[in-house]
Amino acid sequence: MSELVRLTDVTKVYQGGITGALNGVSVTVEKGEFTAIMGPSGSGKSTMLNLVAGLDRPSSGTITVGGTDLSKLGEAGLARFRRDHIGFVFQFFYLLPNLTALENVLIPAQLKGNTATGRGRELLEQLGIPEVADKYPARLSGGQQQRVAIARALINNPTLLLADEPTGALDTHSGEQVMELLGGLHRNGQTILLVTHDAKLATRNAARVISVMDGKIVDDARLESPEKAPSEVIRMRSEDPTALGPRKAQETK
Amino acid sequence: MSLKYGVLGLLKGEPLHGYEVKNRFEAMLGGTWEVNIGQIYTTLQRLERDGLVRPVGKRGDRGKLLYELLPEGKKALDQWLAEPDSGPQQLHEDIYVKLLLATRIANGDLQQMLARQKRAFLQRLRDLNRLEERARRDGRIDLARLVRGALLHTEADLKWMDELSSEHFGTEGAAGE
Repeated sequence: MSELVRLTDVTKVYQGGITGALNGVSVTVEKGEFTAIMGPSGSGKSTMLNLVAGLDRPSSGTITVGGTDLSKLGEAGLARFRRDHIGFVFQFFYLLPNLTALENVLIPAQLKGNTATGRGRELLEQLGIPEVADKYPARLSGGQQQRVAIARALINNPTLLLADEPTGALDTHSGEQVMELLGGLHRNGQTILLVTHDAKLATRNAARVISVMDGKIVDDARLESPEKAPSEVIRMRSEDPTALGPRKAQETK
Repeated sequence: MSLKYGVLGLLKGEPLHGYEVKNRFEAMLGGTWEVNIGQIYTTLQRLERDGLVRPVGKRGDRGKLLYELLPEGKKALDQWLAEPDSGPQQLHEDIYVKLLLATRIANGDLQQMLARQKRAFLQRLRDLNRLEERARRDGRIDLARLVRGALLHTEADLKWMDELSSEHFGTEGAAGE
């Protein structure tokens, strides 16, 4: 794997003591990784995502994405960078209400001068919602709206997919479906940075969990994913002391 | 978790011999518990002594004996199923005692201990997610529900680690020093 994102000693200070500041964060993300960023509200995790997306600029430190130093880009350059390299999925979808689902999906492509209608329909199909193409957002469920937003994020084949609490506004079932979709994209090679507070959903796909607290990275855990025997994961306990429980061989590991 | 009621429950469907009870019990638990055949026979004999099951017919192939559930056994099983688990909260894991000791010893290592434990819980969440996926793939919705319970418990453990990490630690709460 090769490096895709590098933050070097990144600090972000907000005027007036607004929470979400970052304090000397350094981290790299490899191409093809699915990384979850977790932490309490105001810890700075969304700020990290916004800085990587080029939606905001750091107070100090450097951020490179795919070898491009974002601080070297002017506003127009940054907008082009976002359009060509970043897909962003938000908690509250942010679909334009007066455009159909398909028209929403196509916006980033049109900014690039492409029509891409075929690919737009293909993405909606791939995300399991081909039937919503010509419907307006108000007619769609939360889960459907988020899938439209994911299609929109993917339309320009982004180098990096960023998702900020993408399941935060969804019910459990829709949230799991959205996370399953992200998992599928990752298995097809998509690099994903996910901000979430749901550790259950995060660890379903992400093999790396970065914990942020008070603007600092306090842990960077790489999780293993070998197939384990059920008895290595769950141990049923017996009140009867003579019952064996899980097999002995695994206990002595 | 009771082997006794597990055996009674399996015999409710049809008479079984010891090895069938063992195999079905292990299959029901999806490989999370391997039972000794000797323990199954001991349990069957105790249940027979207590008038809850009885052997039926003669010893068959290789001396196998079928057991069936008696009305008293069915009553005991139904009663057990109807009772909520109302005993004390079970805290089996070492982390609880480690935490108390670390607070007393106060060697400044508590944060690292919590961070290490948090990683272990994250890894467990990942393993449980895998297990739940596999159970669903295999059509074992009952087992997936059990794993889901374990997932939610581990999520609570993680939240506890986060809460502890954000506290300021001293020895003031450790009485009896």
